Amino acid sequence: MDKEMCNISKRLVDEEEVVEVEEEEEEDDQSERELSNRIFSVDSAEEEEMDEKEKMLNIANLDEPIGGGGGGGWANDDCDEDLDNVNFFHRVNSDQIIYQTKKRKLKLIGKYVMGDLLGEGSYGKVKEMLDTVTLCRRAVKILKQRRLRRIPNGEQNVQSEIKLLKKLKHKNVISLVDVLYNEEKQKMYLIMEFCVGSLQGMLESTPKKKFPLFQAHNYFTQLIDGLEYLHSMRVIHKDLKPGNLLLTLEGDLKISDLGVAETIDLFAEDDTCHNGQGSPAFQPPEIANGLESFPGFKVDIWSAGVTLYNLTTGLYPFEGDNIYRLYENIGKGEFTIPEDIENPLRDLLLGMLRKEPEERLNLQEIRQHPWFGRKPPRNSYEVAVPPMAGDQLHNMTVLPYLRDHFYDDDYEDVEDGDYSTTAGNAAATRTADTVAGAEHDEYDEDDDGVRYYTERDLNEERRKIDEEHKNGGSAQMNNYHHQHQHCTKRRWKKPISCITVKRLPGCKQS
Amino acid sequence: MPLFGKSQKSPADVVKALKESVNSLEKGDKKAEKAQEDVSKNLVLIKNMLYGTSDAEPQTDIIVAQLAQELYNSNLLLLLIQNLNRIDFEGKKDVAQVFNNILRRQIGTRCPTVEYICTKPEILFTLMTGYELQEIALNCGTMLRECARYEALAKIMLHSDDFYNFFTYVEVSTFDIASDAFSTFKELLTRHKMLCAEFLEQNYDKVFTHYQRLLNSDNYVTRRQSLKLLGELLLDRHNFTVMTRYISNPENLKLMMNMLKERSRNIQFEAFHVFKVFVANPNKPKPILDILLRNQDKLVDFLMKFHTDRAEDEQFNDEKAYLIRQIKELRPAAGH
Repeated sequence: MDKEMCNISKRLVDEEEVVEVEEEEEEDDQSERELSNRIFSVDSAEEEEMDEKEKMLNIANLDEPIGGGGGGGWANDDCDEDLDNVNFFHRVNSDQIIYQTKKRKLKLIGKYVMGDLLGEGSYGKVKEMLDTVTLCRRAVKILKQRRLRRIPNGEQNVQSEIKLLKKLKHKNVISLVDVLYNEEKQKMYLIMEFCVGSLQGMLESTPKKKFPLFQAHNYFTQLIDGLEYLHSMRVIHKDLKPGNLLLTLEGDLKISDLGVAETIDLFAEDDTCHNGQGSPAFQPPEIANGLESFPGFKVDIWSAGVTLYNLTTGLYPFEGDNIYRLYENIGKGEFTIPEDIENPLRDLLLGMLRKEPEERLNLQEIRQHPWFGRKPPRNSYEVAVPPMAGDQLHNMTVLPYLRDHFYDDDYEDVEDGDYSTTAGNAAATRTADTVAGAEHDEYDEDDDGVRYYTERDLNEERRKIDEEHKNGGSAQMNNYHHQHQHCTKRRWKKPISCITVKRLPGCKQS
Repeated sequence: MPLFGKSQKSPADVVKALKESVNSLEKGDKKAEKAQEDVSKNLVLIKNMLYGTSDAEPQTDIIVAQLAQELYNSNLLLLLIQNLNRIDFEGKKDVAQVFNNILRRQIGTRCPTVEYICTKPEILFTLMTGYELQEIALNCGTMLRECARYEALAKIMLHSDDFYNFFTYVEVSTFDIASDAFSTFKELLTRHKMLCAEFLEQNYDKVFTHYQRLLNSDNYVTRRQSLKLLGELLLDRHNFTVMTRYISNPENLKLMMNMLKERSRNIQFEAFHVFKVFVANPNKPKPILDILLRNQDKLVDFLMKFHTDRAEDEQFNDEKAYLIRQIKELRPAAGH
């Protein structure tokens, strides 16, 4: 495997120019919208009448099942937007649905290869990437200037976040690896450490929306470590919440999204702040009551307290039908803790959620609190990070792109484009199983690289393959012929495992 | 328990046997060679109880608790550390592993070993002097850093007179020992923010007099590392009071200005990050202001040409531009 990877990265460099040309051709919006490798298009007249915006929303909604909650994981601040569009349905007859295997086009940004979507926030998409030099997995936040301008303080927040992240280096704070710009497309790429999901996404995947105590304790202690570092660097995060706490594959917690964070002046006498822009449910009474100034570090303590409350109970200490009600309730500072939360934790929550910032615990006191120092027993299963696009193991999503780019194409060239190898076929089978990945693509009629099937075609193919299987594997060669003729028409790929049949053009058999 | 071979010894037996063999090793009589062997053997037994082996699980909590209790009662931990240089190479590593494992032991919120060591601080002091013996310095280092993770133990070490020996240890000529000592030193000064801030405030004069020596060291690595740590300490919000005090002293400013002109670019760069704090201070005391004013033009010239090849580092360039502007705009204090 290692060897193969090396080859790939070496070849990438060789072919960089070619790839860049391809990239130019891609219309940016469309290319960014790809979700998974499987897509179905709707071929109906109504569809065309839909305006651009609606289309986008439709896609946004369809995202949800694919991301497995992960879509909400990354930096989603506005669930409201999603809710507004939930009742948008569009009926399509099944014979009008055309399945299409989308060819995975390799996209290179600098030295990074683009992978699949990890999630989406208000600022833009987050995708997986692979650093071709170090072979490190990365995540990239793709920001479009156009979109940023529409968000209040958008550009400003991003710039301050970049500046901040460059200064910070701690195990429990997300690190910014690289920043790339594309002037032409007005895009910015923030390349960061790779994380598999957020605590929010994990909570949403559980029935009670909470973690077992030992797991909550583990995340909370890491949160406090990261927070202590931020505060020692004079940074007030101001937007701590489960959605902004990411996890790496190793289970390390990373505090992320410092878009609204504030750095207090080196020479400021104290940590007085004047504004808060974080998520309402996590704001302290001093902000809910609209105070002119308040101590900043205690804002994070409060939000960390609400986060702990949420992780351990699955509830929020303060709720309200709308933001005014919510702020009214927070402002009063009265809340209850469910009965089943026992004392050391109950006491800690009460201490972190004291209405008066001066009375609220500080980090030092939290560290010395009995609940903090004592690991709860591992008495139940650990909640796992929800699978990404059905993949529980969170395999690298960049690999299929590389495989397609380096092997699939070559093969097609050799075989005169008659039929392609089975690289994409495992994928095609999956389409049938989970018609989750849905997207409208505008590679219309682009015979080169895109294939369309109706559901009936699919069923027919499946039946055929079943029959072939019954006939036994000895007829493999015949199948090839059969397949060959068939595919000249529709370029259907035979859905068998890519490993068994695949012939690698670049590799000589040894 | 294995079917064949020797039956498992109880923790009390092992500890007793180990103590006897260490004692005879200490005496250094003619049986020393035999004692050496016994020490190694018993250490391995204890280690296996705690960590298990490839074909045996670690012992149950009850056995481990008994073992810990025996270790406390027999005072064996101190004895082992005192005789660490007499134990063979593998044995030294085993001592460190056993020590660290026992140290991490937790019962509920209590750490019994930490409590035990608090009553026997000699253990810590002996470990610290370990840096003076080349053959055990690194073993002691790993144990010390494990201890430094616990606030109570870090506090004892910081507030002891022996702490000031670190200023010598970090400068020794053996590079690996010096850098090991430096990482322990740094851990002690940065790990527990409130404790460290309090310590630095209370012992400001003593610590910074010693620290000055590191900054003036002949050893390049010491000079560079200590300068970097100084920058980190001063810019940490917890050490705000210490920072304001440090940047009010004109001697410190002079030192940093000299370091800006050091031959090593790395030292120049680290010095810049301390120097900037003096300039950015909105309430510069008169002596500081005087020095800056006296060198106003020279400093502006110097900074204009300072590390101009760092075009990539936006933050550095921003800060440099800010400093140049600040220095240009300096005026003598009103009423002067």
